Amino acid sequence: MVSVLLIDDDTELSKLLEEYLQSEQFELHAAHDGPGGLEKALANHYSAVILDVMLPGMSGLDVLKQLRQKSSVPVLMLTARGSELDRILGLELGADDYLAKPFNPRELVARLRAILRRASTGGTSTASQPVHLAGVDLHPDSRSVTCNGKPVALTGAEFDLLYSFLRSPGKIISREDLTQAALGRPMSPMDRSIDVHVSNLRRKLGPYDGEQERIKAIRGSGYVYLLPGEQQ
Amino acid sequence: MKYRSLFLKIFFCFWLAAAAMIGALNLMLWFSFAQDPNPERRRGALGEALNLYAESAVQVYDSEGPQDFEQYVNRSLKEAGTEIELFDGDGKSLTTPTAAEAASVAAEIKGTQQHISHVTALGRITWGRPVVAPSGRVYIFVTRLRQPYVFRGLPPLGIALSILAAGVISYLLALYLTSPVKKLKSVVQSFAEGNLEARVAPELGSRHDELADLGREFDHMAERIAALISSQKRLLADISHELRSPLARLTVALELARKSTTGKGEAALDRIEMESERVNALVGQLLALTRLESGAERVPPQMIGLEELLEEIIDDANYEAKPLHKEVKVLQLAPCRVRGSSELLRSGIENVIRNAIRYTAEGTAIEVSLTTRLDKAILTVRDHGPGVPESELQHIFEPFYRVGEARERSSGGVGLGLSIADRTVKLHGGCIRAENVNGGLLITIGLPLSVAPTVVQHAPERMPVA
Repeated sequence: MVSVLLIDDDTELSKLLEEYLQSEQFELHAAHDGPGGLEKALANHYSAVILDVMLPGMSGLDVLKQLRQKSSVPVLMLTARGSELDRILGLELGADDYLAKPFNPRELVARLRAILRRASTGGTSTASQPVHLAGVDLHPDSRSVTCNGKPVALTGAEFDLLYSFLRSPGKIISREDLTQAALGRPMSPMDRSIDVHVSNLRRKLGPYDGEQERIKAIRGSGYVYLLPGEQQ
Repeated sequence: MKYRSLFLKIFFCFWLAAAAMIGALNLMLWFSFAQDPNPERRRGALGEALNLYAESAVQVYDSEGPQDFEQYVNRSLKEAGTEIELFDGDGKSLTTPTAAEAASVAAEIKGTQQHISHVTALGRITWGRPVVAPSGRVYIFVTRLRQPYVFRGLPPLGIALSILAAGVISYLLALYLTSPVKKLKSVVQSFAEGNLEARVAPELGSRHDELADLGREFDHMAERIAALISSQKRLLADISHELRSPLARLTVALELARKSTTGKGEAALDRIEMESERVNALVGQLLALTRLESGAERVPPQMIGLEELLEEIIDDANYEAKPLHKEVKVLQLAPCRVRGSSELLRSGIENVIRNAIRYTAEGTAIEVSLTTRLDKAILTVRDHGPGVPESELQHIFEPFYRVGEARERSSGGVGLGLSIADRTVKLHGGCIRAENVNGGLLITIGLPLSVAPTVVQHAPERMPVA
């Protein structure tokens, strides 16, 4: 059984989910407010945290912000449908993926499995050789990244995204492939999560010296990781 | 412009009235003088009185001496501004000297018999004559007095100046009367544009007239409307939120039921899932619409490449359209920079394109084009569907408006997509319009460009070849 923490103020939903997830081999623990959930998440070692954005006492985004200061546990966010801002803020604050509420529990399980699979394998199945490329050092073992010697704090999704880019620099990678690599699931229509993750990564790494962007969007195709001086 | 014309009306009416009055008054004076056959008569009468007075005064001096003369003059004549001086026949002053003019008049009269009257610019008359006293001595009597004021109308320059002054006063008056109207108008306008906080009271200052009363009445009304609207919006948002929780539980319960159901039950569960998906979509759209209308969404000053955004939307839309044997085609794609929120614009434009996909006939393509016209980005989306009856065109942006029962039912839409598009575009300062074209509906969206597109013409010619 995999233990997962659900932070959601809807106790009835928590009970139903607990029953459902049990049958899918997840052990669900529930917290019903922000501070309590944060405390529980920091005190125990959960494989993943499911976090509702709308919580009494403390907003889910605040919980996420504080959680990320101390823990890199995979976080799946539940956002209100139609609230794009929450979703973007959540991904920017380091959530691994999001699901609009109300969600289909099958989808929840699929996303959870994707997050967990990535977290356990480090998103890579090949030998974990460190990658050095144009000032960026990536260590798959410790899942740490430095850029020009300075450590860069990346979320799990961003790390896997960067790993995909560094393995094929200068080549266009489709948004579908990037979604699969970074989020461990196929891209769904109208899904912009990957763009948010890419722009976060771009911001965290910063441009090359000559103000040249590292990651360039190719319209209608995907993204490409450029090397210094390379003009795609 | 209404205010302007009210201002001009008041201004010109007052000015015209004042100018007419000035003119009439002057005309009346002019006529009354024109009818007076001998205006000099008045002066003649004055001369008569002075002659009499000069003789009696000289007689007093001659027979009673200077002291009695002084007394006589003081008693009878020395009112403000009138001075009397007496000279002997040789022009030597006999009394307290007054002004130099008196002496010069006396010198002029000396040895003659003439009466002299000088008028200075300030309207003072110096009048003198020789008087022979009963004793035979000759005196010269000189008096200085104010010319009796006779108003004979203003000179042309005066008339012009007074009309100008009347104009200035009329202007100020018109400004005073119409400025609260102007303020009231701007507040009402801002209220109408959705600023429910707009109030007149702070604009009026310490005014207490009827216009200020009108302003206060408006404020009362605005207060009530704002309260009504905000409570309605809150209610809508609360309902949407409250609907979500049971929906979330329903979907989980549904999946639990699925696990223990086989065979016939599956179909019913599928139906339940589909219907709950519909309610879910509706609640989502309602929430989005409520957010747009409540002013909770602020447009950030973000620069957006509209053509890039549109390409992404069309990529996604084709993903949805392909299985339905429909297609989204791009006819034109001009680079356009607009200011706003890319998330909001994306959902707004997406709704228009999805609506077109829903209604276009199978096997046809939706044609999308993005061009610039003056300072606007023009986005058109044309479908090959049944179109909308002309009489209902203006209503299709209203929430839940249904264009015919049949059309709606087969399409599966909830009737909020175009409302969301409409509110989004308006929030960005643009406009949206629908019209029927030959066999289809054409939706045109105009958004203000944030920078005029730089037209690069023949760029290679300008650049020197290295």
